[in-house]
Amino acid sequence: MAGFVSRREFLNLLAATGGTAAALKVGTALNLLPASATAASLDLLNLGNNQRKIAILGGGISGLTAAYELSKQGYDCTILEASHRCGGRIFTVRHGDLIDEIGNRQYCEWDDEPHMYFNAGAARIPSTHRNLLAYCKELDVDLEVFINENKTALVQDDKMLGGKPIRNIDYTTSMRGFMAELMAKGMSSAEMDAPFSESEAETLLGMIRSFGDLSEDDVFKGSFRSGYAAGGFLEHGVQNDMVAFRDLLQTRLGRQLMGANEGDTGPILMQPTGGMDKIIHGFLNHVGGKVKYRAMVTSVQVSDNGVNVSYDQDGVGHTLEADYCFNCIPTHLMVGIDHNFPDDYVKAMKYVRRGEAYKAAFQAKHRFWEDMDIYGGISWSNTRSRQLWYPVNGIHKAKGVVLGAYDYGGGMYHTMMTQEERIESHLADHEKLHPNFRDLVEKPITIAWHRMNHMLGCSARWSRNRFEGWTHEEEQLYHTLQAPVNNRHYFIGDQISMHSAWQESAILSAQWALNSMDAHVRAEIA
Amino acid sequence: MNRRVMQYTLILLTTLAEVLLQNSAISAEREPFNDRYCTTCHGTEGKGNEGIQAPRLAGMEGWYLRRQLENFRAGIRGTHPMDREGIAMQPMANLSDDSIADIVEWIGGWPYVPAEVTITGDAAAGRSLYGVCATCHGDQAQGNVAMGAPALAGQNDWYLVTQLKNFVAGYRGKHADDVYGQQMAAMVGGLGNETAILNVVSYINTLEER
Repeated sequence: MAGFVSRREFLNLLAATGGTAAALKVGTALNLLPASATAASLDLLNLGNNQRKIAILGGGISGLTAAYELSKQGYDCTILEASHRCGGRIFTVRHGDLIDEIGNRQYCEWDDEPHMYFNAGAARIPSTHRNLLAYCKELDVDLEVFINENKTALVQDDKMLGGKPIRNIDYTTSMRGFMAELMAKGMSSAEMDAPFSESEAETLLGMIRSFGDLSEDDVFKGSFRSGYAAGGFLEHGVQNDMVAFRDLLQTRLGRQLMGANEGDTGPILMQPTGGMDKIIHGFLNHVGGKVKYRAMVTSVQVSDNGVNVSYDQDGVGHTLEADYCFNCIPTHLMVGIDHNFPDDYVKAMKYVRRGEAYKAAFQAKHRFWEDMDIYGGISWSNTRSRQLWYPVNGIHKAKGVVLGAYDYGGGMYHTMMTQEERIESHLADHEKLHPNFRDLVEKPITIAWHRMNHMLGCSARWSRNRFEGWTHEEEQLYHTLQAPVNNRHYFIGDQISMHSAWQESAILSAQWALNSMDAHVRAEIA
Repeated sequence: MNRRVMQYTLILLTTLAEVLLQNSAISAEREPFNDRYCTTCHGTEGKGNEGIQAPRLAGMEGWYLRRQLENFRAGIRGTHPMDREGIAMQPMANLSDDSIADIVEWIGGWPYVPAEVTITGDAAAGRSLYGVCATCHGDQAQGNVAMGAPALAGQNDWYLVTQLKNFVAGYRGKHADDVYGQQMAAMVGGLGNETAILNVVSYINTLEER
């Protein structure tokens, strides 16, 4: 019986729940529900026209937030964007687009259709990211629901069932069943009575049975929840076979499968209709005229009265004198740009590490997943490509764009490959999910954020200790970089947040800086 | 018969013209680019960027730059699995001869500014170690084109430390076609430990602008 959780161990586990239950009671009493469902609104002082000049370095969403809000209040904003496009890591790839990876430049060759796009960076908007959603509303950005978890999508691991892919719902139904069976067995033991009253125990047991769809004798015998092997409409459905517990335990993908609706992906997720960059276009409809493209900042000098910025545009040097500067240039690139920042600021800039996320996408010659009852969502495999996303946009149209790889933490594996090696890796990986995948897709693109020109990294990594979280020193470095230099220069972007890689974090970072600057302006005027 | 040949020729020409037209239409709508992307990593006027571990380019000799770009492009440098920074650079040298020539000329126009000192070591101890280096790199670390040895003075000290470590460990200078790298790898025998490397680079830090 080696390798099984012993009955005693399991009971110990349940007994520990007693302590948790007590803590939960305290939480309820304190009424910890979020108080308001509206975005924090800024209350910036309106100065009339052009009384202060603002330099915004970088046309990412934080820079555009600053430009949009300040322009509304009469500030004179100039946005310097190093690349040919605004948005930074909010990047929607379509027909003809340039993917400016250094050493591996690509042009997208997909069909020129509104639904044939790929969100190569930000791709999901949780319903709790209320500041981002408030801008979507204000900027008339149409939203649609994004499907993240899809129970008809697939799960595959070479170690499970001989590598045969199964439906997500087969995995989760059986896994829940067996987990519930274990819990129910623990509950029904006399030893377990101690932490719970009879009524509480009854409630809990009822929930456990329902969680796993257990039979009357508290045993999991399979469930109609995973669909029917046959029938189900005009005839009685025939129950699907359950997957043996032992087989389920051969894969660790359960961490993704059982947690798909938790954390950041717990709330309803949305995407702008037609591509994530519709948000960027929404901002640019108001401040697009203030953007200078292909303008690479070469120097940022903070003085007592303002900030002098030098930049190079098409080989010609320019200067920009501003009263305030909002800077969303990645800190690791800012280290190499001339500046006169204080030492502790520079130390913090050098501390932040570059994210390594990697994505790839293919044009599918037809929407083969819809033939398999899959509409949107993610298939998971224990391969280096990890994820296969089916688009929710363009349902029943001729073609679609699938995400062919998304490795958030370990993207260097594919980044280090040649373009041909990357593509072959994804084709081979996804043949495990869809045996003829190679023939079903074409025109691949890859996005190695670590090598994208003018970014050279995905979201900032502050914490170096994966399991213990931020150290005190890291928090200090973060607050150093969040604070302005001379009340004139602000770093912004999701890099100046404790929750990087989300648009909401970038927006909140910009709003924090705007409020700080506003307080300074008000004090100056008073 | 002649007429048929004429017809085929016409069809062929028309098809060719269509293909050419389509191509020009495609290239016309495409976002233009150039290969002058060095400053993204190597910083303003190539002064180096510790945040990316990308060294100073300003002040590097044109012949040395060209050779390294060609080595990276050919996979002679930046392919050893332990050469982390070299691996990062290697694919970025995916450049045409014309682009390399343009980049070398462009970089040649940047002003020489000695890099800031970021390491601590015993420069006096490093001075005696530097004796071996001086043979090729010169008394003042000013470089020697005849020996194929680049200038070291003014270079980012953290970069020199990384490269010396790489030469010592065999991460650089072991490729069969890296003639000058092999020459350098044979010379680092006296730099077997990190202290020695920090000392000799600290000495190089004391040398004046050439």
